Amino acid sequence: MSIGVIDRAASLSRWRHRPLAEKALLTLGFLIVAVSVPPWPGAAVVALVILAVTFGAARVPLGLWLSVAALPLGFMASGAVVLLVQVGPEGLGLAPHGLQDAAALCLRAMAATFCLILLSLTTPAADLMAGLRRLGLPAEIVEIALLTYRFTFLIGESAVAMTHAQSARLGHRTNRLWLRSTALVIAGLLPRAMDRARRLETGMAARGWSGEMRVLSDRPAASWPVLAGIAVVQILVLALGWPA
Amino acid sequence: MHIMEGYLPAAQCAAWYAATAPFVVAGAIRLRRIIAERPEARMTLAAAGAFAFVLSALKIPSVTGSCSHPTGTGLGAVVFGPAVMSVLGVIVLLFQALLLAHGGLTTLGANAFSMAVVGPWVAWGIWRAGRAVGLGASVTIFLAAALGDLATYVFTSFQLALAYPDAVSGFAGAMAKFASIFALTQIPLAIAEGLLTVVVIDALAGKTDNKVAVLAGEARG
Repeated sequence: MSIGVIDRAASLSRWRHRPLAEKALLTLGFLIVAVSVPPWPGAAVVALVILAVTFGAARVPLGLWLSVAALPLGFMASGAVVLLVQVGPEGLGLAPHGLQDAAALCLRAMAATFCLILLSLTTPAADLMAGLRRLGLPAEIVEIALLTYRFTFLIGESAVAMTHAQSARLGHRTNRLWLRSTALVIAGLLPRAMDRARRLETGMAARGWSGEMRVLSDRPAASWPVLAGIAVVQILVLALGWPA
Repeated sequence: MHIMEGYLPAAQCAAWYAATAPFVVAGAIRLRRIIAERPEARMTLAAAGAFAFVLSALKIPSVTGSCSHPTGTGLGAVVFGPAVMSVLGVIVLLFQALLLAHGGLTTLGANAFSMAVVGPWVAWGIWRAGRAVGLGASVTIFLAAALGDLATYVFTSFQLALAYPDAVSGFAGAMAKFASIFALTQIPLAIAEGLLTVVVIDALAGKTDNKVAVLAGEARG
């Protein structure tokens, strides 16, 4: 998956203009619930609620969601296999509670991953950075993060173009050539990135930039009833999640 | 390799956040000082962060026939210094979670500790030690990048083993299990990354102006 896919989807999402606080409370709140409650039934409930919101309310396209979820869920499967076996004095064997442990891990990891995917498919990273700034993260760090974000797409584009050019000239024919070509892309990329940074810096300095980019934001303010509603559902799930 | 969202229990997520915090805060203070002294470094640092992100999206062939991606930990630590790498590393890990669904927010502390703290410091330590005992630059860079990469994966296995100890053999058994899956398979990748970094530094030495050296000087102090 290329770098821009998720961010583009987030910018075009139906929930793009929903207040950041509402999306953050919903996804990050449930994320915390997912890792805090016992996986059964807590994480399972979180997973179901988040899936319902993802497809029912935010209308995230299924194909896109599957392409984003494939990688983390693959990692989850390989990690869960480890819990199925145990290492004893006689060597490897099946763990007696392995299946249960693996299922619990999968439930929690799925619930948490679904929260992350909902957040990243509805909220561009730049919006989240602006939110972190409002929460009191130092301006310098947020500014560097935002600039990093902008540069990521510019440098990523150059990297893709350079890799295409090399591959069209048989630069990936053997493993040895491939490794060398990638090294040359990286070596070519760093001076370009630095040069681009310098030119941007000159341009910004000429416009009297003092280190913080202030932009108008027309995001609506969060509605308290909605926030309260989300919190109530989360408390309910928390209560449901703890077995009696 | 990143620990995925939801893989660690809540208490361990919090503990790894707490363990990473001092390194990141120290790096952030260093970063603020660099920016206060030379405001133009802001752009170069951001470009360096984006460069590290893009690096992790490039594919390299692995000896086993599959392909992987470079982590850039060794390269970053040698060129920019480990303190700054810890802050840039956290920013990169955050974007990887948000833009690629790679890693996660609850596991950000744990991932940052292995990739933005352990990896860069090991790579940087080997780089300094190698230069001090008079090893050749290429050999030192190879060792720094390869072992920095491997240290990251061994540490990730350690974190996973801590979270999921084996039912019979406890932490040691779990470490053996996770290391055999996640660290042993990384040895060829670590070698590939080491070789890659040597070629990158060689190529860079021939063509850049002193921008990188200047930044490295500022960053390492």
